[in-house]
Amino acid sequence: MAQELKAKGNELFKQGDLAGAEDYFSQAIQKNPNDPTFFSNRAITRLKLGKWAEVEHDARAAIDLYGLKNPTALKSSYYLAQALLGLQRSQEAYDVAVDAYQLSLGSKNAQTENLSRTVLRAKQQIWAAKETSRLREMNETLKSIETLIEADLDRSITELRKQVDAGELGEIGFGEDQKALREDSEKKIQDVREAFRIASNGETQERIVPDYLIDGITFEVMHDPVMTPSGSSFDRLGITKYVEKSGVDPITRAAMTVKDLRSNYALKAACEDFLNKNGWAVDY
Amino acid sequence: MAGSFANKRLSKELLKMKEHVPPGITIVKSDSLDEWQMDIKVLDDNPLYKGHTYRLKFTFNNKYPIEPPEVQFIELPTTSDTPRPIPMHPHIYSNGIICLDLLGSSGWSPVQTVESICMSLQSMLTANTRDERPPGDKEFVAHNRRRIRDIPFVYEDDNV
Repeated sequence: MAQELKAKGNELFKQGDLAGAEDYFSQAIQKNPNDPTFFSNRAITRLKLGKWAEVEHDARAAIDLYGLKNPTALKSSYYLAQALLGLQRSQEAYDVAVDAYQLSLGSKNAQTENLSRTVLRAKQQIWAAKETSRLREMNETLKSIETLIEADLDRSITELRKQVDAGELGEIGFGEDQKALREDSEKKIQDVREAFRIASNGETQERIVPDYLIDGITFEVMHDPVMTPSGSSFDRLGITKYVEKSGVDPITRAAMTVKDLRSNYALKAACEDFLNKNGWAVDY
Repeated sequence: MAGSFANKRLSKELLKMKEHVPPGITIVKSDSLDEWQMDIKVLDDNPLYKGHTYRLKFTFNNKYPIEPPEVQFIELPTTSDTPRPIPMHPHIYSNGIICLDLLGSSGWSPVQTVESICMSLQSMLTANTRDERPPGDKEFVAHNRRRIRDIPFVYEDDNV
């Protein structure tokens, strides 16, 4: 019975009826609150609806039911980390994503790539929060303007919420409009900061990522660098895929296996240090 | 269709090339991340290639850059505004298919880029003095129906 409700939920999810899917998954949970898939399916549905707090609840419930060290729970950990990012709880998101990433490496899980990306996202958000307070401390005027933009955003979202309550707007429309408003206000803040940066002559720093922190395969800043026997470092994800396939070192073409890769802790520390001070580099 | 891994890497390559491309290399088409076109020219006075521009087509799959892109020369007729012949070379078939070890699965390295491939092809042309096609060109062009990646080239001749 509960399984049938889940199947109906999956069907609606595929069709894009998120609110309908959420409803069926909720009914399935009422019938049987011990099946982790009901929770993880409702979590992904709510993730798409932008209901972060509810995703956190569902993902944690699914992880509890699976057991923390169970690789099947990794998908839910990925949802959880994303919800925490949505809730601006960056440090928690980072901790969840890093632990899950480690576990996924051991179990060759399909989530590794997603988790790796989420780790970087979380780092970026941690940096962004620090950068915001640093900039606002530096300049009172910037602080007041940014506060006004944020207040404006809050007001617009409250208005939107009212429309939903009055039945003039659906949940999905609300999610889309809210996303657009947030993006718009982020853009405004970026523009204001850029203007202040230009006006502040001398205090402008150039945004350059040193080449030695960039992975030669993905072209992104590394977050889990490993070294090949020839001494070149790459981010674990890409080099593992390549070595599994080719069986050679990409630089020297000498034979090697994934077991020959060694963590490069010094470089990892350098990358982390750089990202802590330069979160923008995640999007570089 | 290129996946997210491939897409990200390609958009970064594009960003870099928009800032700067090496001499003799031009981006012709890069709006889709599945297929790019590049023009290359040989920079020295090699009489075989002097004054000509050649068009390359890159096709990426979602395993890029773990797997190599498919790269071949394409021809635009001499009557067009931008005539693009297929360069004469003992490793380039008259249908534009290139026999170059770094483009094969066994010679490819993920640190290669669109830019570095273009440069390798420039130097492959520069270094050539033989005005000829690979042996069996007519046969190959008439009968080959395989994807470039699946052709079992033998890279026996490292001197060309």
